[in-house]
Amino acid sequence: MNDMRILERSVGIKEVKISARGCQVYYGDNHAIKDVDIDIEDKTVTAFIGPSGCGKSTFLRCLNRMNDTIDIARVEGTILLDGEDIYDPKVDPVQLRAKVGMVFQKPNPFPKSIYDNIAYGPRIHGLARNKADLDEIVEKSLRRGAIWDEVKDRLDAPGTGLSGGQQQRLCIARAIATEPEVLLMDEPCSALDPIATAQVEELIDELRESYSVVIVTHSMQQAARVSQKTAFFHLGHLVEYGETGHIFTNPSDPRTESYITGRIG
Amino acid sequence: MPDQHIVKSYDRDLESIQALIMKMGGLVEEAILSAANSLENRDEELARRVRENDRVIDALEEQVNEEAARVLALRQPAASDLRTVLSVMKISANLERVGDYAKNMAKRTSVLVQMAPIEGSSGAIRRMAKTVEGMMKDALDAYIQRDAELAEDVRRRDEEVDQMYNALFREFLTFMMEDPRNITACMHLHFIAKNIERMGDHVTSIAEQVIYLTTGEMPEDSRPKGDATAFAADEAP
Repeated sequence: MNDMRILERSVGIKEVKISARGCQVYYGDNHAIKDVDIDIEDKTVTAFIGPSGCGKSTFLRCLNRMNDTIDIARVEGTILLDGEDIYDPKVDPVQLRAKVGMVFQKPNPFPKSIYDNIAYGPRIHGLARNKADLDEIVEKSLRRGAIWDEVKDRLDAPGTGLSGGQQQRLCIARAIATEPEVLLMDEPCSALDPIATAQVEELIDELRESYSVVIVTHSMQQAARVSQKTAFFHLGHLVEYGETGHIFTNPSDPRTESYITGRIG
Repeated sequence: MPDQHIVKSYDRDLESIQALIMKMGGLVEEAILSAANSLENRDEELARRVRENDRVIDALEEQVNEEAARVLALRQPAASDLRTVLSVMKISANLERVGDYAKNMAKRTSVLVQMAPIEGSSGAIRRMAKTVEGMMKDALDAYIQRDAELAEDVRRRDEEVDQMYNALFREFLTFMMEDPRNITACMHLHFIAKNIERMGDHVTSIAEQVIYLTTGEMPEDSRPKGDATAFAADEAP
């Protein structure tokens, strides 16, 4: 009974994509992430759960150096992507973010056409040699974002004119247009209705074939549905990290149990 | 871990299902003892009541299943709450089966009272039923107190029941060989003994659910088995 995803368990041991050791984050004097060690696997959906303010989003933002944009934030410890330190001074954060894409809570398409929303990243990273190349990237990304059929006849329409669920899938398509290796998602469904949520969840499951996906979510049911590994954060600590089926049937730590069963804790 | 949910009605839902289980357990315990007493005292009226009361047990099982389905659908329980709901469904199925066996005992008792008694048999059957009823009581206590150790003890005691059944099996075989006129009564008594032995297995299964509920793991070692009658056919006297 420890594993309700019997089929997925038969898959062999995955390679480690991101490895964090002794990770600390400070916002000024506030110690937000305390000594987190975690190995995030490739071709796996990893969910971060925990109460508000537990540090799960902060830690997610360490993984593509989004915290660099906050002046008072300070990150210590090592975070390796494929064995290479992402905080090495030689690493260009812009290049890093092309490899580690991100999708945010609120859909935030650029105030441009649907086509240009997708084409923006590949253009600035020089991924397309000519217009035909770019057209191909746009179509492929929109197809992978499971929104192609809905927008293929109006690629010139503004991205902001789409529905909320469509906008979020457009943002996911935009994030995968630069062929990232890791996709970070910070509550990608909290502004969506259940149907759009299901479509995004189905998309996440498909993306797992090619990427390592890390998702922060407040919905424990969503974490249970989409992820293979779950990490529970509490007061800046990584309390428990393990196979999702195990976390949701028989967690080892009483704090995890209190949180996922909705008890005062 | 705190005992209470933030949403208090969730606690009330889980408690009310568990109250149904305890009610069922009480009725089943009573059915076991009454069935055995009706046999020993050749009390047809008591046997009839056991058969009738089984309807209540069946209705309770349905109610438990409905309530459990409701909690699953409406609250999506996780971790220990999920294990509570899963174990409640299994335990109610086990209790319902034990109730059926008691009912079957009572039916056979109604036939047996028409025949000459087989000496010593009904006393031995009552002792066996008493043992199983004791195990049932402890299994349900272990459930309410989330006591895995007591549940483990119940599991071990099933071997005792198996041995009692073996002894009765041989005894009935002997009676039947001595005098073929005993065959009808002995066959009924044998089925009764077998029914009680099966009750023991269901109680064991309840104890295993208690272990799963409290520890999150099913007990791994296969439990001790004392039923050897499957191999005993040829060596009887």
